Amino acid sequence: MTPPHDPVGITLVGTGAFAREHLTALATLPGADVRWVVGHDLRRARDFAALTPGARATTDLAEALADDRAVAVDVVTATPTHARDTVAAGEAGRHVQVEKPAALSLPQLDAMVRATHGTSLVVGQTVRFQPAVAALAAASRRGEIGTPRLAHVSWYTGHAWPGGWRGWQLDPELSGGHPVHNGTHIMDLATWLLDDEPAEVFARGFRTFSPDMDSPDSFHVQLRTASGALATLELCYALQRRGDLLRRVVLVGTEGTLAHTTAEEDGLHSDAATAPPPSVDGALRTQLAHWLDVVRGDAAPLVTTAQVRAALATALAAQRSLLSGRRERVRDVPGYDRGADDRGADDRGAAVGAAVVA
Amino acid sequence: MSVVLRVAVASAVRHAADYLRLLAADERVEVVGVVEESSAPAWVREDSRAAADHAGVRYAEVDDVASVARALDAPVDLVAVCAEPTRHARLAATLLEAGHDVLVDKPVATTLADADRLAEVAARTGRTCAVVNRTHAPALRRLRAWVDAGHVGLPRHLDLELFASGAHLATSVERPELVVDPALSGGGELLNFLGYCADAAHYLTGLRAVEVHAFVGSLFLEPHRAAGVEDTAVVTLELERGVTATITLGRVPYAPGGTATTSSVRLLGSHGHAVGDDDVPAVARFGPAGRTTIAADAGQVAAQAYLRHVVGAVLAGGRPDYGIEEARATLAVIDAAYRSVETGDVAVVRHEHTKEIV
Repeated sequence: MTPPHDPVGITLVGTGAFAREHLTALATLPGADVRWVVGHDLRRARDFAALTPGARATTDLAEALADDRAVAVDVVTATPTHARDTVAAGEAGRHVQVEKPAALSLPQLDAMVRATHGTSLVVGQTVRFQPAVAALAAASRRGEIGTPRLAHVSWYTGHAWPGGWRGWQLDPELSGGHPVHNGTHIMDLATWLLDDEPAEVFARGFRTFSPDMDSPDSFHVQLRTASGALATLELCYALQRRGDLLRRVVLVGTEGTLAHTTAEEDGLHSDAATAPPPSVDGALRTQLAHWLDVVRGDAAPLVTTAQVRAALATALAAQRSLLSGRRERVRDVPGYDRGADDRGADDRGAAVGAAVVA
Repeated sequence: MSVVLRVAVASAVRHAADYLRLLAADERVEVVGVVEESSAPAWVREDSRAAADHAGVRYAEVDDVASVARALDAPVDLVAVCAEPTRHARLAATLLEAGHDVLVDKPVATTLADADRLAEVAARTGRTCAVVNRTHAPALRRLRAWVDAGHVGLPRHLDLELFASGAHLATSVERPELVVDPALSGGGELLNFLGYCADAAHYLTGLRAVEVHAFVGSLFLEPHRAAGVEDTAVVTLELERGVTATITLGRVPYAPGGTATTSSVRLLGSHGHAVGDDDVPAVARFGPAGRTTIAADAGQVAAQAYLRHVVGAVLAGGRPDYGIEEARATLAVIDAAYRSVETGDVAVVRHEHTKEIV
């Protein structure tokens, strides 16, 4: 019998709505020991810490990093501080999980990868851990459709969602623009399913409720990969009813087709509440459990830094296309070409790029 | 005009068997025969003769299709042009000049210039030039009714998908070269299928496409690869007034539905969203092959509805709701898509010769 592991000491950085979800999910994992909550507002950080026995609150990340028993840092803050906090944690010898999008630029991401070279860096691409997506990817990796060559993802969700439209999220300078901010999910999904490097993109957006907004609430991206595979990727955050979700994924391969749609999942019908469809349920908990396995050295990251870089570069190119109205090459994104040191660091975990969550 | 519409077919190499069957089943129609150009290659003449034999109608070879009535020794009210696409425009123009109403298979022409010439002839002769399309598909009609009723508010975006199963290429297409040999087809699946989707976008919104971006690929099927034409395309349209549309189409190994050709539309509006799926309604069947689906062949249903509409319109002395002007506008979108592929960027749709279409 394998002896039980000691719990992983964790520093949670962030006190927003999604940080609370992380805290709640970590509380259900016996392998997690949240020791610190770091936030810029000490009272709020204390409120968060009070949710987990033994956790302490601070406004100073360095104080938490000085705790040798807090070996892992979960960065769940606004995107502009991801790089700063990840680099600090990495340089302190800590493992890091950072919320998506990992960074606002490729040089930022490369610095984060370098800083965590001696430990591990995992990016919170939660969608990969959703049951239906994981099953679809696993089937593809098993070769059930031959080689995947075409992806069509339609992903629509309700306009009203908690913490969804804060000021920084609406500012492309701080969020990277919508293709980067929320689009990272769908870019990562496409590059993961097609298992290929995106080469060119074209994007269009539309603004359902706020015509003057810099960031469109909805957009689509069409991409071509290095080997010529194609994808249509749509993301819409403007469905009328709160909690609505319609997601349809079609992956066409040389020997078959895989498809999943939330439209075929019946569930809760009530005026009192909405519930997520089974195909997305429990993903965050699975993701965090996987992260703990990575920290303990029991698993290689499902989301490799090479894949993160490819998805971020694609999202940045899509944002450029949104502004230019032209087709954009992914390799023209600033920082796309980098030195050998970065390439070496970036390859970490590449060997398990085909892994899927069981 | 008789109370029975006397219909002849000029060349019967593409879709003729379906149209002959559908027309023959219409109690208002008498199919009088098939003619083929005597200058056509032997295989073309053989196929046209076989179609006539199969339908149990007369067959004649002519130097000029304008002599269709004399060759079949019967009055002719309407001539259906079912040649390979590269002959469509010429045959249709000849018949219009001879005073016949015509029904042309899609695509109405393989170049915009040919479509313009045909539109000019139709306008000058005052004859009907109907063109096969799918705007009478029940799913599309249902969506349009919801849009017209205001149920989804202002349409903002459409996502359209159309796939044909390439596994059935040998049986679903009379001869594969009719869709892959540019000398016969005029192009690849972009020319073959994009019109259906562009028609749907216009039909649902009343807005024309003004700009197109397209990626294409020969991703799946050897006949397409060998002929150098695309089997797959992802296309985005900017419609007038900022409305957008994504289109994913192709002849892929296995279409994601219960029938050999699948087609669906997702429409996002300011106050609701709606889905139209040609595979609905369907019944699930469970047996040794697992779960299979019983659904109507949407292409046949749409064709039947449109042909019946054309017969009714011509008998009543009126005009079908879809003809050369609509088909020309759609061909302009296809033309722009091919120019986008060629230039690697967006292409403006050339509507300058298109009459106003309400």
